[in-house]
Amino acid sequence: MPRSTLHIFFSTGCWMVLAFLVLPILVVIPVSFTDTAFIGLPRDGLSLQHYETFLRSPKWLQACLTSMWIGVLVAGISTILGTLFCIGVWFLSDRAATIARWVMIVPILVPPVVQSLGFYKFWVVLGLIDTHVGVILAHTLLALPYVTISVFAALTNLDRRIPQAARNLGASLPMTILTVIMPSIRPGMIAGALFAFTVSFDEIVGVLFLTVRRVETLPKVIWDGIQESIDPVIAAVATILVAITLFVTVFGLRGRKI
Amino acid sequence: MPNPIISVRNAVKTYGKVRALDNVALDIREGEFLTLLGPSGSGKTTLLSAIAGFLSVTSGSIHARGAEITHLPPEKRDFAMVFQGYALFPTMTVAENVGYPLRVRKMPNAERAERVRECLELVQMSGFADRMPHQLSGGQQQRIALARALSFKPDVLLLDEPLSALDKKLRADLQWELKALHDRLGVTFIYVTHDQDEAMSMSDRVIILSDGSVQQEGAPAELYNRPRNKFVASFLGKSNFVPAQIRKQANGTYTAQVAQESFELSAEPEVNIDGKACLAIRPERVRLGLPGLECFAGRIRQISYLGERCLVLVDHEEFGEILISQTTWNASLPPEPNMEISFGWDCKACVPIAEN
Ligand SMILES: Nc1ncnc2c1ncn2[C@@H]1O[C@H](COP(=O)(O)OP(=O)(O)OP(=O)(O)O)[C@@H](O)[C@H]1O
Ligand SMILES: [Mg+2]
Repeated sequence: MPRSTLHIFFSTGCWMVLAFLVLPILVVIPVSFTDTAFIGLPRDGLSLQHYETFLRSPKWLQACLTSMWIGVLVAGISTILGTLFCIGVWFLSDRAATIARWVMIVPILVPPVVQSLGFYKFWVVLGLIDTHVGVILAHTLLALPYVTISVFAALTNLDRRIPQAARNLGASLPMTILTVIMPSIRPGMIAGALFAFTVSFDEIVGVLFLTVRRVETLPKVIWDGIQESIDPVIAAVATILVAITLFVTVFGLRGRKI
Repeated sequence: MPNPIISVRNAVKTYGKVRALDNVALDIREGEFLTLLGPSGSGKTTLLSAIAGFLSVTSGSIHARGAEITHLPPEKRDFAMVFQGYALFPTMTVAENVGYPLRVRKMPNAERAERVRECLELVQMSGFADRMPHQLSGGQQQRIALARALSFKPDVLLLDEPLSALDKKLRADLQWELKALHDRLGVTFIYVTHDQDEAMSMSDRVIILSDGSVQQEGAPAELYNRPRNKFVASFLGKSNFVPAQIRKQANGTYTAQVAQESFELSAEPEVNIDGKACLAIRPERVRLGLPGLECFAGRIRQISYLGERCLVLVDHEEFGEILISQTTWNASLPPEPNMEISFGWDCKACVPIAEN
């Protein structure tokens, strides 16, 4: 008996935590279909007007596109750099390499505001304020720790004799990395790239510090939208993002099982 | 030795205070089946890795056909290695694994496919070309690792305990196959094992390693019949050791005095004359007899029956325990526990070795 009470207690707790996590996300869905001109639940019926506004507004679409390509570039660059870093550290595997690995993770521990302030100071000197390059660079630095964590996790499962075997059979070091190591750690690299894209796509603090008018990313436009007027378009944008995320997750999970 | 294919000169490898290789020198003949035999941690993998080029020796040098290769990267050496645990590429199919050395050598596709087919046939794995490594059993993976190593026709095949993960029966089968493959292909095999039966049954020559240094090298029978020290005598098969005094006689022959008995030795011993030495005697070369028949008197303490032979443990007041191995079929004296017996050996049966 006590065991089943405990069971009920824990499963209730579990579901409540899940609900707590998911409800705020789900609440934007009805809000996005509101027929009112402000953020609130639908009053007289459902309406797609805010989706229409979103799809008709060059400002929103442009911001989406900007965030997208910045995210893709950041994912690409940080995955390449992070993977090379990890492979190097893995091959060396001495104390200096272990320290380098820990230093790489430090950015996660620093509060975003402090880090953004640091970027700001540097970017002023480098003339990168309010440029796409500046944002991409900052996002790459923010995403690198996530990539290294994920790629290194994949590497620790790799048998050290595998690259030795490749070289013994005649492959040079670059060839070994390309044909043997990379394919083995691909799941880690893909996960790292997805992490990096997400980090860049919803990054707001750095963007606020580093850009003025010329770079408009989606989080920044949402932020501005909230500042200026509480526009339900934000809910529509959020719903679209949730839908895309769900789609990608389900698709990814199904792909893994096959 | 005429033109060794590989020679290792004074190789030392240290890890901190551990000397994994301690002044190892050896020459490997073209086409021979050489086995490195030693207990766990004796430096076998280290020596093989140094030859393959995965680690650099702290001092000393390695030569291939007279040219120094100490600092040559592994991919330039053309020695194929079969790893302890096989190290098949997990993301490639069996055919891709076997074809990998050919792919990095840029062999055209058609020719490559043909060679892969040939190699899979060689190891009797033709039907498995499209499987992934994790879909194979241990013995099958071992064959694929072998096929992969042979596909680019290397001069030298390095095998690091290739059979250690397999069960006894499969192991025995594969030992025969490996030996047959060696005889057929004429490739030089350097084979690492800690299993003395494996070493004895397959090799042309065995090198015995312990604590990173070579203890003795020679043909299996030579090592078994004339071990140079206590380590070799007890690592390769079993041995009894009895203390002895070695003396040179006036007529130039040598004698060993054991307790009150004196033996004439058949050859000049490789030990200090007049110093403390001992005789190593194989258990199956000790004769068992009724009391008074042989030189030494003893009492049987224990008997263990192994089928074709039985091991008899005899107590002697001076030597301590003496192990005797007897055939069970038609034994002249069926042993019983606590029986008073006598034992002795032929003077040719004992090998004088240094006491230490
Ligand atoms: N990377 C390393 N760092 C420190 N010590 C090492 C390293 N590699 C090997 N050693 C030491 O070197 C010695 C020889 O190791 P090696 O792997 O050559 O043994 P082995 O004869 O192959 O043993 P086994 O039969 O168990 O495979 C051991 O004492 C081992 O602890
Ligand atoms: Mg080993």
